[in-house]
Amino acid sequence: MTPPVLVRRRVITTFGAGALALVLAACGGGSLGGDEGDGGSDGGGGGGTIKVGLVIPQAGVYTPLGEDMQQGWDLWLEQNDGMLGNYEVETVIADEGEGPDTGVPAIQRLLQQEDVDVVVGIVNSATALGAADQFTEAQKLLVVTNAGAGAITADAASPYVWRTSFTNAQIAAAMGQHLADEGVGPVYVMAPDYAAGQEVAAGFTTAYEEGGGTIAGQQLTPFGTTQDYQPFLSGVRSSGAAATFSFYSGGEAVSFVQQYDSFGLKADIPLYGSGFLTEGSVLDAQGESAVGVQTTLHYSTEIDNEANQSFVEAYQAAYDELPTVFGMTTFDTANVLDKALEDAEGLSGDELSAALDGLGEIEDSPRGPWTFNGQTPEQTVYLREVTDEGGTLINSVVSDLGVFEQPLG
Amino acid sequence: MIGWFDANLVSILNGFAIGSLLFILAVGLSIVFGMMDVLNLAHGALFLVGAYLAWDLLSGGATWGGFLAALGIAALVGLIAGAGLSLMTEPLARRPILDQALLTLGVSLVIAELLSIIYGNDALSVGAPPGLSGSISVAGNSYPTYRLMLIGVGLLLAAVVFYVVERTSVGALVRASVADREMVSAMGIDNRKVKLAVLGIGSMLATTAGVLAAPVYGARPGLDDSILILALVVIVIGGLGSVKGAFIGAMIIGQVESLGRALLPDIASFILFGTLALVLVLRPRGLFGPKKLAGA
Repeated sequence: MTPPVLVRRRVITTFGAGALALVLAACGGGSLGGDEGDGGSDGGGGGGTIKVGLVIPQAGVYTPLGEDMQQGWDLWLEQNDGMLGNYEVETVIADEGEGPDTGVPAIQRLLQQEDVDVVVGIVNSATALGAADQFTEAQKLLVVTNAGAGAITADAASPYVWRTSFTNAQIAAAMGQHLADEGVGPVYVMAPDYAAGQEVAAGFTTAYEEGGGTIAGQQLTPFGTTQDYQPFLSGVRSSGAAATFSFYSGGEAVSFVQQYDSFGLKADIPLYGSGFLTEGSVLDAQGESAVGVQTTLHYSTEIDNEANQSFVEAYQAAYDELPTVFGMTTFDTANVLDKALEDAEGLSGDELSAALDGLGEIEDSPRGPWTFNGQTPEQTVYLREVTDEGGTLINSVVSDLGVFEQPLG
Repeated sequence: MIGWFDANLVSILNGFAIGSLLFILAVGLSIVFGMMDVLNLAHGALFLVGAYLAWDLLSGGATWGGFLAALGIAALVGLIAGAGLSLMTEPLARRPILDQALLTLGVSLVIAELLSIIYGNDALSVGAPPGLSGSISVAGNSYPTYRLMLIGVGLLLAAVVFYVVERTSVGALVRASVADREMVSAMGIDNRKVKLAVLGIGSMLATTAGVLAAPVYGARPGLDDSILILALVVIVIGGLGSVKGAFIGAMIIGQVESLGRALLPDIASFILFGTLALVLVLRPRGLFGPKKLAGA
């Protein structure tokens, strides 16, 4: 998902978020680290401390994502005595808020005042894009653990900006190709009308048409202000579509999936989507309406490999809930940084970038093996279906759709 | 024509359902604003309180008992909150209307933040009570039963409010206050008591609207703002302090949001405020607004 640029375009809320951000900024970022182990000594080859800025939303609509990300990060450090490579980790958390108006200054503060060595996190693509120049200037490493805008590692790429998550079009293209192979017939495309929604819709349409499929129609719905999807759903029915592909997240995903069901479309026109449609807490809220919805994503808790099983088990033991893709990606990022720091000559952006570049295949990731290609993952995308396992809704893995790189151009 | 009607029947029905909900929400806001010159920006937050109350009582499994209890508790909470707001705005009674609006804006931010602390930031969904949770077939199209019921409840409430305001002595007081508050006060009626009652009932309508809307919109942070904007548009279109205005305004906005968006999906983002702009240009005091505002 690429989180939205402007979530609630209300003056009222902007006031609120702004005020809150000021308060948080004034308080300073909480310093948090798995440093109980106190294992790292200053001496020894490559030893010392690495200061990591963790940029996550702590206020606003993405707060649940931020919580998952922090849990993933903390879990990895707990399992590894608070060490990345031979470095003891000092984590400084900064609040990204909802958009670049709060996120970019928070990152600037991390770089200039906290003098962190590496920044990890960022949910919102606009924030990631807005902050990228600072990293190029400071020659420090940024590892984006969520924001999915293609431009971050394409048109606006910087040698210091890496991504461990996905690109919007990558996830959508996998579904486009799959549905074309299945020959489902004309597909109606629905997404919210902002950057990520447009990228998902375009990524799907390109792949589906390349595979020989036809698009029955497309509707980009007003972002953040649509409470009721019924007016747009009647367009789906009248288009004669055989299936619907959609991308929504958060509260919009809940309303959309429920209304798609209650207006009787789910029974006639199967619903497919980008994985964020049914990921994390939205799935519980969607309830029975979500059962049978198929989505593509680079992760599911149900992936059958050893790394994933132990990750899911440890995560559940620590936080009493199933991990989400957001928690997994941040956990995995710590893992990647750990490997890079073992090889890196030092902590400068150039040295760390070189180390990331030389990593090759990441074999022990919960999502399955993946590699960096163009500073963003080339990874397996899974086809998932929502199933009800004794009252708990999960995204079961239907099949593995193969390895996808970020679509360019 | 018949074909067109058939194709858009669901959208038209849905427009009435949304309109009913908006009426329940907006009529309180409109009368409070029209009578007492208090622009209660906490109205949306009270709506959200109702929605979360519904979630509290219905999340374990929707029952009629839970639903009715949620309505009752929400009504009580609304009354108390309205009385509280009335007391809070009292010291500002002589100050410009914007000062009171700022106070209620502050209250709404505090409520929203408290709700976010208590219930978290996830979107929560609420089931409809048994018997209303499914969909029924309306001329071959499936339509959620609960929304049909909303139309009925909206019409019923509209009839009750209309009767009270137009045909009873309490209603006469309300209408007189909208027309000329100073004169009503000069005739020996305590303005503060009227305000207490009006804000109480207005807020009660907001929280009950929240419960009624919960099975449709769920409960989530941000819903308070979106819904407040819709209610404000309704009262601007309908005219301040007018029950008829709130009803017609709500039905128009319901259709604009539903049928309008279905027919003109490409301009869906603009259509709501386009309607608002059109009404403001043609009739600045709203369709049924009091004349005194036109010159003020």
